[in-house]
Amino acid sequence: MTLAPARQPDKVSVPETREKRSRADTAFQAIVGGCSLIVLIALGGLVLLMGVGGQEAFRTFGLGFTFRNVWNPVANDYGAWAPLFGTIVSTLIGVLIAMPLAFGTAFWLTAIAPPKVAAVVGTAVQLLAAVPSIIFGMWGFFTIVPFMARHVQPFMMHNFRHVPGINLLIHGAPFGTGLMTAGIVLAMMIAPFMTAVMRDVFSAMPGMLRESAYGLGATRWDVMWKVVVPWSRTGMIGATVLGMGRALGETMAVTFVIGNVTSVGWSLFAPRSTVASLIALQFPESPAGSLRLSSLLALGFILMLLSFASLSLARMLRKDRK
Amino acid sequence: MTETKPQVALAVRNLNFYYGQNHALHDISIDFPARKVTAMIGPSGCGKSTLLRIFNRMYDLYPGQRATGEVLFDGRNILETGLDLNILRARIGMVFQKPTPFPMSIYDNIAFGVRLHERLNKADMDARVQDVLTRVALWNEVRDRLNAPAAGLSGGQQQRLCIARSIATRPEVLLLDEPTSALDPISTARIEELLDELKEEFTIAIVTHNMQQAARCADQVAFFYMGRLIEVDTADRIFTNPRQQQTQDYITGRFG
Repeated sequence: MTLAPARQPDKVSVPETREKRSRADTAFQAIVGGCSLIVLIALGGLVLLMGVGGQEAFRTFGLGFTFRNVWNPVANDYGAWAPLFGTIVSTLIGVLIAMPLAFGTAFWLTAIAPPKVAAVVGTAVQLLAAVPSIIFGMWGFFTIVPFMARHVQPFMMHNFRHVPGINLLIHGAPFGTGLMTAGIVLAMMIAPFMTAVMRDVFSAMPGMLRESAYGLGATRWDVMWKVVVPWSRTGMIGATVLGMGRALGETMAVTFVIGNVTSVGWSLFAPRSTVASLIALQFPESPAGSLRLSSLLALGFILMLLSFASLSLARMLRKDRK
Repeated sequence: MTETKPQVALAVRNLNFYYGQNHALHDISIDFPARKVTAMIGPSGCGKSTLLRIFNRMYDLYPGQRATGEVLFDGRNILETGLDLNILRARIGMVFQKPTPFPMSIYDNIAFGVRLHERLNKADMDARVQDVLTRVALWNEVRDRLNAPAAGLSGGQQQRLCIARSIATRPEVLLLDEPTSALDPISTARIEELLDELKEEFTIAIVTHNMQQAARCADQVAFFYMGRLIEVDTADRIFTNPRQQQTQDYITGRFG
């Protein structure tokens, strides 16, 4: 007890610096906490904006707005089905084409190509992934659209016109624009991105595991299908969903090549529209407070839900592993 | 006289190996007697794993790596181009430093290699799986969960599974690259016991950093230093009375 007064100065100064430090710590926590809060606010704000903005459309047409196949600005009658259909189908076509392309490229880059060649091609893939979508749109418009109109669809018509089932898919005048063209352009756009992700997934696989498989006398094909693919399943799903997410919301590239006709039908070669392209094209001519603007916002709301759904689908697929 | 001499499974003659410009193995000549355990010891980077990876041509996966000289296996130089690597690798199995179970069931891990080379019906495959799992003393531990993922096994069990997987293709030579370096002492002891049984049927080449392990398991020991084979002899001689000073220094822990 006698020592206590002598120690007094120390006791005062130590808590002071401690307090200072704890205050800095609190401030730091507040700053990083604030950053994450902004994420929540932004997400909530977006949902709210779309939901509230689209409220009038949902009130006028009911929840059935989603599946009404009509988009008639003259009669002020709207429904989301046509653009939604276009979005889903063009995205599916794009993903179906891009998936094997990305998988093959990524596997070749990691397992077969000589390192020097792989480095060059790998960089090219990344550059391609960085090309803005408007460039893909112009490329699609000037290259793919004429090619589809002059060669692909006439060829399909000539050979498969009388095959039941297929004739429905290729029916229509050869405009060159349409779901198939949009799907191809989307595939070219998302494939490099998916390749880059899959390549990372494949190279994350332990070399020893790969060597074990080769060490048993497996061919590259065996190693790929029976070891690499099961091992990297999660990552491949992730890559595909990321690509799909990009395709779902892609606006510019698709607007160039899809033809922008709000209708639904079997033909993959007929002009259609997507949610994003329709919004982009009609937003400027929709006056504030109009039912048309509200319908476009409601479309945005549905597109967001679609993205969330694809994300949760990916989560589900990842969980049922093993 | 040939009866008294042990038969040679792998005969290495004037072997040189290069990682690109880097000359990793210098003029190696060594025999691996059939159905004996040959341990390769030496400090890290001395070339022992490199030698092991030549025997199943694993280096072929990597461009820029090449070998010159001869490795005779069953009367044939396995360094020749045009050799069927898939068949070679079925006849010369390999086990790695860490357990490498494939992302599939315990049963399929064993069946994977067998299916690559043989067409067995269900009953024969079941018998093969049971046989090799019994030999690595894993059968009783996994018989009830053959269809469970192999990743659920413990490290020691996984490594025994990998050994079982390697012997399931009925190889003649088994290459083991520090097979116990990631395992606890008990699992290590079990693997060492296992080697003792396996050598009745297989020629075993094992790389190890563990001097006691080499002394316990090996019939023949080869000491490597800086890409050269310094000395090869029976385990007894290497550990009691080596001819080279470098070997003496290494096994007594004076360097490396």
